[in-house]
Amino acid sequence: MKSVSLRSPAAEAGPAGAAPAAAGTVRRRTTRLALTGAAFVLFLGAVAAAAPWLAPHDPTRQSLRARLAAPTLEAADGRTHVLGTDHLGRDVLSRVIYGSRVSLVVGLAAVVVGGLVGASLGILAGFRGGRSDTVIMTVADAQLAFPFILLAIGIIAVLGPSFPTLIVVIGLSGWVSYARVLRAQVLVLRAREFVDAIHALGGSAARVILRHILPNVLSSLVVIATLELARAIVLEATLSFLGLGVQPPTPSWGGMVHEGREYLDTAWWISTFPGIVLMLTSIVVSRTGDWLRDLLDPTLRGE
Amino acid sequence: MRGVLAFLGQRLLRALIALWLVSTVVFVVMRLSGDPVPLLLPPDAPRSEIFRVRAELGLDRPLPVQYATFLGNVARGDFGRSIHFREPAFRVVRGYLPATLELGLTAFVLAVLVAVPVGVFSAVRRNSLLDHGAMGVALVGQSAPTFFIGILLILLISLKAGLLPTYGRGDWRHLVLPALTLGIFAMASIARLTRSAVLEVLRADYVRTARAKGLSEWFVVAKHTLKNAALPIVTITGLQFGTLLGGAVVTETVFSWPGMGRLAIHSIYNRDYPVVQCAVFLSAVMFIVINFAIDLLYGFLDPRARPR
Amino acid sequence: MVQVTRRDLLKAAVAAGAAAAVPGTLPRPAGAQTTQKRELVVAQGGDISTFDPHISTSSNDIRISFNIFDNLVSRHPDGKLHPGLATEWKLQSPTQWTFKIRQGVKWHNGDPFTAADAKWSLERTWDPAHKTRVSTVFTSIDRIETLDAGTLIIHTKKPDPLLPARLAFYGGQIVSRRYFEQVGADGFRSKPMGTGPVRFVSWTKDDKVVLEANPGYWGGRIDADRVIFGAVPEMAPRIAALLKGEVDVITQLPPDHGERVAGNPSTKVVGALYAGLYVLAVNSKRPPLDNPLVKQALSLAVDRNIIVKELWRGRGIVPSGPIAKGDNHFDASLPPLAYNPREARERLKKGGYKGEEIVIETTSGYTANDKPMSEAIAAMWKDAGINAKVEVVEYSVRAQKNRDKTFKGLWWSDPTSTLGDPDGMMWRLLGPGGPQDYWRHARWDELGDAARFSTDEKFRAQAYREMTKISNEHFPWIPIIQPYEDYGLQKYVEWTPNPNQQFEVRRFAFKFRRA
Repeated sequence: MKSVSLRSPAAEAGPAGAAPAAAGTVRRRTTRLALTGAAFVLFLGAVAAAAPWLAPHDPTRQSLRARLAAPTLEAADGRTHVLGTDHLGRDVLSRVIYGSRVSLVVGLAAVVVGGLVGASLGILAGFRGGRSDTVIMTVADAQLAFPFILLAIGIIAVLGPSFPTLIVVIGLSGWVSYARVLRAQVLVLRAREFVDAIHALGGSAARVILRHILPNVLSSLVVIATLELARAIVLEATLSFLGLGVQPPTPSWGGMVHEGREYLDTAWWISTFPGIVLMLTSIVVSRTGDWLRDLLDPTLRGE
Repeated sequence: MRGVLAFLGQRLLRALIALWLVSTVVFVVMRLSGDPVPLLLPPDAPRSEIFRVRAELGLDRPLPVQYATFLGNVARGDFGRSIHFREPAFRVVRGYLPATLELGLTAFVLAVLVAVPVGVFSAVRRNSLLDHGAMGVALVGQSAPTFFIGILLILLISLKAGLLPTYGRGDWRHLVLPALTLGIFAMASIARLTRSAVLEVLRADYVRTARAKGLSEWFVVAKHTLKNAALPIVTITGLQFGTLLGGAVVTETVFSWPGMGRLAIHSIYNRDYPVVQCAVFLSAVMFIVINFAIDLLYGFLDPRARPR
Repeated sequence: MVQVTRRDLLKAAVAAGAAAAVPGTLPRPAGAQTTQKRELVVAQGGDISTFDPHISTSSNDIRISFNIFDNLVSRHPDGKLHPGLATEWKLQSPTQWTFKIRQGVKWHNGDPFTAADAKWSLERTWDPAHKTRVSTVFTSIDRIETLDAGTLIIHTKKPDPLLPARLAFYGGQIVSRRYFEQVGADGFRSKPMGTGPVRFVSWTKDDKVVLEANPGYWGGRIDADRVIFGAVPEMAPRIAALLKGEVDVITQLPPDHGERVAGNPSTKVVGALYAGLYVLAVNSKRPPLDNPLVKQALSLAVDRNIIVKELWRGRGIVPSGPIAKGDNHFDASLPPLAYNPREARERLKKGGYKGEEIVIETTSGYTANDKPMSEAIAAMWKDAGINAKVEVVEYSVRAQKNRDKTFKGLWWSDPTSTLGDPDGMMWRLLGPGGPQDYWRHARWDELGDAARFSTDEKFRAQAYREMTKISNEHFPWIPIIQPYEDYGLQKYVEWTPNPNQQFEVRRFAFKFRRA
């Protein structure tokens, strides 16, 4: 299980490598990198949104006569397939472009689900303490002990694969990260006097959380959400790869790798291109998370 | 001493509760997921036959009764009989365990053997081409999806270069690619952790002193780092083992490795409740025990981290 | 398989406490057309679940159980019935069959085989105490008698012309009463024993089953000392293992990879036209699929030729109806099912189709090409103005829907002709009370019932011809393809596949080509 706490010490490697005197330069470089990463995510979003205009062909259009065509400018169906065709003669490039939609929609929605659940539970646990804290953290422990991919397979087997199922399953797989970090931060904040003071002045708990705690933990939330986005995208692809993803004919990167696996030695392009795009996305998004953390919230590193 | 005992007691209680939660969730999800009986009978079996087999497997009793029986049996270490294999579920799972342990151990050894030297080297020769290269690879290894790494390795090493077998368990050559795939995340993480741990050591005062005394950098690094880097490495290793089953699911599927991960997936598909319950339970126990061991190790390696 | 050999040697060496001096296996020259091998290694798509032949009917299991055990009657690759443990059989009266039992046959443990074993074994299939999974195979049998050690008499409830055929397929494997009672059900499962050409040696789950030749086999010792069945679920590794010479035979070779295997200098492809069909079964109770015109349109809108030519690379034929080619009473004069999208649109209009969603629930990889064919067919249907949708379900969900009869529309079925006769295929599945009973037609039912219990083959031919005609109007199945079952082989393996997925290592089907 790739958790935030795991990645964080590793992230020290970058900035720590430079001499302390150069901290300013490092900061500027990190900012630039984080912006580049954010730009990549935006670019991906733009590709997903503009898929109908960018894709050279309909991603679901089959051409059995031109199936398994290698990357070519003119296949048996007289069309150009820059990245080749799959086992049903569908254009791999168009499917890769459309595949970004599934990855982003499922990824972002899962982050929202996981974030809402995790943040609320984390804040609740930290703020209320006592029994709520114990219950929530015990459940978190239990979930970490669970080989999650098996739970996901089981749940999808019950409900059948669909967008909502995938989003909920992937989202819920990530709530613990939010909950743990936010709980810790709320505990620290609560220990400060101003919270008690507001309480004493008659401020309601909800008000305290909304007005005073949430703004303080927002940057951590952004950092975790970015790291979780990378994780969610990979998990969706992994489930699709195991044959539990979105239903055909909707293309998804993991599903394409899955479909191409049988043709690995004869038609390598079916699996390889979506796989590379997926890998790139995962690397850039998770790095962006690391950079954001260095930038916004260095305290998280020691987590 | 009493503090330590109380701490242990509390940990044990939490572990038991976590195990109970895990078993309950598996029980519920598996029962909801459907009936194993149609998979056991030929498609033209009449309904009476289906009811007979359901009764034979105890699936006709009310769910709460099944749940109570299940918990009682688990408490006694009895996971029931596999529906698919028709033998005790624990025996089935135990049969698959060696393959998974073999894979997991090799992955871990491979990860440490490669990652620690690379990490040390990168730190000592920081900002060299090799450092950047190694850290770049580590970055990829840390974020790339496991299944695609496996697919790429099969494509490039087995199919194109013809160097290693593509599937199954056998001699050491069968082990290399799956172990690399399973261990790559740990390898990348350990390499980066080792690098930053070494860098920290190199900046420390005593190292400067040692260097001033004329001792070679390599000697100093060797002497001081390993202790410093040990903590994060232990953590990663523990995590790797704790989540062995989860990680093995994907790797074993990609490489047709006959281990617990694949057994678990097949058993879910076959609705073989007892085997799934047993595999998940054992995996959770492993996770909890290892995490506990890590906590103890932390206390041993780093007195500051001892429980209050 | 080089790896297996070496590992086994290592294991043996370690066990003997002599880890040194393990002989390396000599690599064979590429493109060898002959061999000195004494070991046959088969890679199939999955591991077995049990050896008890009466407990499982899965194709991975019966490949092995049909070789450990013998049946009274044996169906050879030529599709005909040959003597097995029974040397001859006769219909004594309309409801009484007499079987002459082969003399001098020994079980693998040396016990003599007798008619009493056969009686007990057949009765076991429906004995509730044994909890078998084949209890419905012999429902036509009334009672069994043993006249003496060499004669078995089977009384049927009604005339059953297909009894010998039933005895040749699953459920008909003969197990030893004495051995079973000695070792019990668990002992039998972990160490099965029969009269067949191979004896059980070991089973490593999800890895391999090791068998050795039965030297005193009544049908002649097989042409190998050991037979190993490995489980390799992934296609690409299975093919790679064959191409590299690690295994001798691979099962379920997909047509897309036939060229590679055939083009490789040391390997070849052999196939048999499947004794059965791949059909889209229809839930005819669910509107608009209760409307024959809509179903006719569905059939007319499928371009089966391009499916056979491209998706199957020509490894199959277009069916003409619900009876498989090669079966009794297959009508060779019927044309293949037609493709005519314009006519399909006409019939949709005439049938009052209003764009209702039509769902194919497909598995992925349960039957060859199931998901790709579903997607291709859904696209063809869309082109003809049908609102088609594909949903992928896993195999266990399909099994459950099959049991509960809750399919939303169409699903893949690969009915095997268990008896070489329409009675063992369309009537078994589509008949009243059958597992695919979603459609009833009075005349069709009447004919099917009459044909089942008739010993007049002329009448039966007539009946099945009329049933085919009705089926091709009402389409309880939409037949898509009758494919070849292909296997990849080393060139030095001479082996004849059996159309009904039985896997024979007996002398009549397999030998190594020696130098």
